Amino acid sequence: MSGGPLIVQSDKTLLLEIDHPDAQACRMAIAPFAELERSPEHVHTYRLTPLGLWNARAAGHDAEGVVDALIKYSRYPVPHALLVDVAETMDRYGRLQLANDPAHGLVLRALDRLVLVEVAKSKKLAGMLGNRIDDDTIAVHPSERGRLKQALLKLGWPAEDLAGYVDGEAHPIELAEAGTDGGRPWTLRSYQREAVEAFWAGGSGVVVLPCGAGKTLVGAAAMAEAKATTLILVTNTVAGRQWKRELIARTSLTEEEIGEYSGERKEIRPVTIATYQVLTSRRGGAFTHLDLFGARDWGLVVYDEVHLLPAPIFRFTADLQARRRLGLTATLVREDGREGDVFSLIGPKRYDAPWKDIESQGWIAPAECVEVRVTLTDTERMAYATAEAEEHYRMAATARTKLPVVRALLDRHPGEQTLVIGAYIDQLHQLGEYLDVPIVQGSTTNKERERLFDAFRTGEIRTLVISKVGNFSIDLPEAAVAIQVSGTFGSRQEEAQRLGRVLRPKADGRQAHFYTVVSRDTIDTEYAAHRQRFLAEQGYAYTIVDADDVLGPTLPSFD
Amino acid sequence: MSTSLADHLRSLPDESLAALLQLRPDLVVPVPADVAALAIRAQSRVSVSRALDGLDQFTLQILDAARLTRDPVDGTTSVDGVLALATSGPNRPAPTAVRAAIDRLRARFLLYGAESALYLVGGMDEISPYPAGLGRPAAELDAHTAALCADPAKLRRTVLSAPPSARAILDRLAAGPPVGSVPPGALQAPAVGTKDEVPPDDTNGGAPTGSPVRWLVDHRLLVRVSGGKGGTAGMVELPREIGLLLRRETGPLGPLSSSPPEVVGPVREPKAADSAGAGQTMEVVRHTEALLEQLAAEPAPVLRSGGIGVRDLRRLARATGLDEPAAALLLEVAYAAGLTGEMDLPGSVGRYGADQQVLPTAGYEMWRAGSLAQRWEQLARAWLAMTRQVGLVGQRDDRDRPITVLSAEAERAGAPAARRSVLGVLADLEPASAPDVEEVLALLDWRAPRRSRGRETAHREVLTEAATLGVTGLGALTSYGRLLLAEATASEDDPSDDPLGLLTDTEDGGSAVRALDTLLPAPVDHFLLQADLTVVVPGPPEPALAAELDVVTEPESAGGASVHRVTTGSVRRALDAGYSADDLHDLFRRRSRTPVPQGLTYLVDDVARKHGGLRIGSAGAYLRSDDEALLAEVLADRRVEVLALRRLAPTVLVTPYQGGRLLSVLREAGYAPVAEDATGSTVLSRPKARRAPARGAVATRALDPLATPRLPLPRLLGVVEQIRRGDAVARAARRAPAIMRGGAPDGPVPAHGHHDALAVLQQAVRDKALVWVGYVDAHGATASRLVRPVSLGAGYLRAEDERTEMLHTFALHRITAAVLEG
Repeated sequence: MSGGPLIVQSDKTLLLEIDHPDAQACRMAIAPFAELERSPEHVHTYRLTPLGLWNARAAGHDAEGVVDALIKYSRYPVPHALLVDVAETMDRYGRLQLANDPAHGLVLRALDRLVLVEVAKSKKLAGMLGNRIDDDTIAVHPSERGRLKQALLKLGWPAEDLAGYVDGEAHPIELAEAGTDGGRPWTLRSYQREAVEAFWAGGSGVVVLPCGAGKTLVGAAAMAEAKATTLILVTNTVAGRQWKRELIARTSLTEEEIGEYSGERKEIRPVTIATYQVLTSRRGGAFTHLDLFGARDWGLVVYDEVHLLPAPIFRFTADLQARRRLGLTATLVREDGREGDVFSLIGPKRYDAPWKDIESQGWIAPAECVEVRVTLTDTERMAYATAEAEEHYRMAATARTKLPVVRALLDRHPGEQTLVIGAYIDQLHQLGEYLDVPIVQGSTTNKERERLFDAFRTGEIRTLVISKVGNFSIDLPEAAVAIQVSGTFGSRQEEAQRLGRVLRPKADGRQAHFYTVVSRDTIDTEYAAHRQRFLAEQGYAYTIVDADDVLGPTLPSFD
Repeated sequence: MSTSLADHLRSLPDESLAALLQLRPDLVVPVPADVAALAIRAQSRVSVSRALDGLDQFTLQILDAARLTRDPVDGTTSVDGVLALATSGPNRPAPTAVRAAIDRLRARFLLYGAESALYLVGGMDEISPYPAGLGRPAAELDAHTAALCADPAKLRRTVLSAPPSARAILDRLAAGPPVGSVPPGALQAPAVGTKDEVPPDDTNGGAPTGSPVRWLVDHRLLVRVSGGKGGTAGMVELPREIGLLLRRETGPLGPLSSSPPEVVGPVREPKAADSAGAGQTMEVVRHTEALLEQLAAEPAPVLRSGGIGVRDLRRLARATGLDEPAAALLLEVAYAAGLTGEMDLPGSVGRYGADQQVLPTAGYEMWRAGSLAQRWEQLARAWLAMTRQVGLVGQRDDRDRPITVLSAEAERAGAPAARRSVLGVLADLEPASAPDVEEVLALLDWRAPRRSRGRETAHREVLTEAATLGVTGLGALTSYGRLLLAEATASEDDPSDDPLGLLTDTEDGGSAVRALDTLLPAPVDHFLLQADLTVVVPGPPEPALAAELDVVTEPESAGGASVHRVTTGSVRRALDAGYSADDLHDLFRRRSRTPVPQGLTYLVDDVARKHGGLRIGSAGAYLRSDDEALLAEVLADRRVEVLALRRLAPTVLVTPYQGGRLLSVLREAGYAPVAEDATGSTVLSRPKARRAPARGAVATRALDPLATPRLPLPRLLGVVEQIRRGDAVARAARRAPAIMRGGAPDGPVPAHGHHDALAVLQQAVRDKALVWVGYVDAHGATASRLVRPVSLGAGYLRAEDERTEMLHTFALHRITAAVLEG
């Protein structure tokens, strides 16, 4: 029995004991094919999924290597059935290939004739396949390339896409590592470089990096690699402007070369930044802005925050299979479970780095997560107890008792840039009045938002209350403290985003603080438990304190 | 010939005779009376067939060679003759191999006698009529064909001139068996233009000759023979000479190989194979336990037709995360190992026996207490010995009903032998070599072709099951699997060594258990605690630890290690089970190798704080008042002590007695209580007079008891009919003729009664007349009956009894007399 760091469970989870001397080597060995599911402080959990194994196949790993890695690092005997299953699953990828035939155009080619016969009979593929060219080849309508890949994945026979990409309209783009307009020189971080290389070698795919790890730069570097016109899809206008600023600062692109395609402006330029929202807006049931995809011969399409990609975008993406696609995200986990569509339509995962590792490299501020439990007053408790069930969360989350606690927390960190985050507008207004700080919410105009954010960046404003609009893609580099008073029912994704707000590198390497104020003995606590689990699974220290400890005067201590 | 075998046996020294009996043990059951009897038995079809079953393909082929080289006159052959024939083909085996095969045959007395004059044991031709797949000599079949065979040049020309479709038939028959059935009509000429048409040729004068078979028969290459299911018309046989001619390429005996087929499958790293197998054994034990726990929680009912229903199997499989075949296998193995059993459902014992259900036995507890390796060994041994072919589960039987788990339809007596032979093949290979399935089947086919033919499916299943159970790993027999097989075989083959079964049932198990033990993880007594409230046990937990975790945590993932989670619910459960918060803190501190996370401590305290915040009790009635002082007074009052009142709150008292009693005792004591209902409104009560149940008054009955009741007409008619029928019965009984009534033993029974009776009855059937029939009933008593005969035949009289309107059947031999009525 080898004393390896890895324990293989029969439900296909892998437990990695990270204090083991071989843990680092083992992590490197299994990272390509196993998805990191949880990374608490002692034992990390990875999971073997078909998608993960196919991702590994797409990256050139074979079943033999996977099985060897499992056996080599496993502490206990690995069940035979699991090894067989791994090998069989991996073997399914690439039995079918999408390729360009000089004579027949796009074809589905089989390395295993029986598989082709099997899938050709499937009803799910009806209408996608053309004539049978020979025993191993069937013509494919080029417009069905994406949908075919989706359907094949559902059938469990993911196809390898070797049909290549169009180069698109060339456009010179360089990284400006010397710094533009007197900016300081900089270099791409090592993991960013690796991510871009992995993406470029694979052609299309997703790069998974935590918030604050510089995903924008990965996008910029990929554009510099492609040197072609680029369409960038982002979640909202503010995020788009952020991209634009970053691109102007970090690349040879000038303001005139970058267009904004949003609700306010409709510019189409060599590099165009469009929001999901405008693309998915409909008039009379039809998508009105689809022309954008054909407006230029795009050489690269960048999807920011892939995990938020709305369903219609998947449909458009199915038609973009001949263009290089780069997905950027902090997590492949989608709340709607459409990870398979990301895999088949945008591409396999090309690069992934666990948060903690990047943090230990010093790129992300270490964060301390604290849950503050507030005891409701008797009146509040009585109101809560007699309220309708659907009102429970709102009542617990917006309890007035939270206000003094938020103030006490702010007082703990005088002079730090602080964000107070909440989901209920009324509560935010209460907070704004109580703390006398400005609020950014959905109805705040973009101009006002930019003004407030700029003021926050420069330090004019120390504290900002923001609603859900702040969840995604705004860059607030100097927020060192986040205080969360209410959320969307403990969604994992929201948590990752909010934590991201405070995880941006700090100028002086100070510690970030992430506070959550919850009402004791209410449903709020239950959601907090989800949050605690999620953050602990990400490896963050998580402590729970009582509000009295925050509010009360520090008792004199005797040693 | 049998006498000569007997003579031969008689002349043998004791050791040789013993050696024969050793090789053919069936000869001594029962022990033959003398050598002659032994000889007869040794030549019996059954015994010879058994002896052949154990022989490998090469030896059987050499036996065929001996049969082919028999002298047609005296039936003897010689070693040299066999050798010559066996080595005449292109791939000639080494003469030593042939001699060794002959020695094997002689040792079993399938061949006996001197080297130059070997006799074949009798009965062989009945068992396989066609030695080496060759037909009978042409001389025995047909004179014309014999003439053709006598002229080799012409024979060759004829064969070469065969059209391709005919040649294909020839080649197939030449490869053996040499007889083929001919579909009806194949010997007739086919319709012109069909694909079977054979082109006209010169030998037949240029006319179409019909089907290929017809062509062959016409050209005397095939001979029509009798026999077969299709009657005389349907069979053709390829004569031996032509068969030999067609076998020029392969040799007269067909392809010969004196050694088993080569295995080219990979040879695994022994450690890797053992490790994969050991991993599988852990799974098997864990899954079996999970299955049985499911059965314990919800026992599966036994179907009327036996076995567990498909739906229950599906439920068990889903609950344990297994696929159905694997679940079926584990259920069968667990049953064979005595871990589950049937129990009558209480209260269900009825006419057809009791309803039964399958659930774990007491033996299951014993099994659970064993180590992983011991538990696995118990399962694996049961698997080796069980006479069940689990692969049949889910298929359909002859009557197209699904075969269910544990049902009688999956019983196969040959299953253990199939397992032994398959694992035996693996065991005889180099350690850790992993042949693929086809190679194993080929090896089995060579080793004992007569035994393995038709059992390919069973053999494949054995390989799958062995992999599932961890007897093999990565397709190779594991080291402990090899030991287990050896132990199981040894204890069976040589019971004299261990007549009481002591060696195999030792406390720590056999060498297989020890070998497996070293491969399996050792139990651990600690866990790792993490901030996400998971508890990771890095190995199989010790029983004590497992029991603690069972109470305090929810299981999340199992396997080599186990992951558990502490949740609010699980902490509450632990508190319910009697743990205090301090106990839990202590447990986590003691068992954890890592610091206890603050979140966990907080959780335990938080749940403990709320635990017991609501209290439940039972009471017969309560007493409440807004006046606390009044309640205090009642509580202190000695006169109401009998009520055992208890103060729950300042304004509420409870008593175990019912409200009525509370009310009356308090009233007696001079208080003024009022009862209230669930909504809190007062219930006013007034004393209620006691009353008997209501009954009708006399006045409703008929006023004049003497008045005649009026009867309706239909009823009167019915009564009349009833009376008439009774009268008829009475008259009939009276009128029965004297000979009928004369059942008295002394009364002279008419001698002619029985003979006459038949004539009378026949006449009565024709006339449809009423007849008095006298007969002896089943108890030997005589009786008589007035009936109208309906039919007579097959030894029975069928007759109608007008009074009872029933059809009776009388056995004719019981009828003593018959007299026409009137």
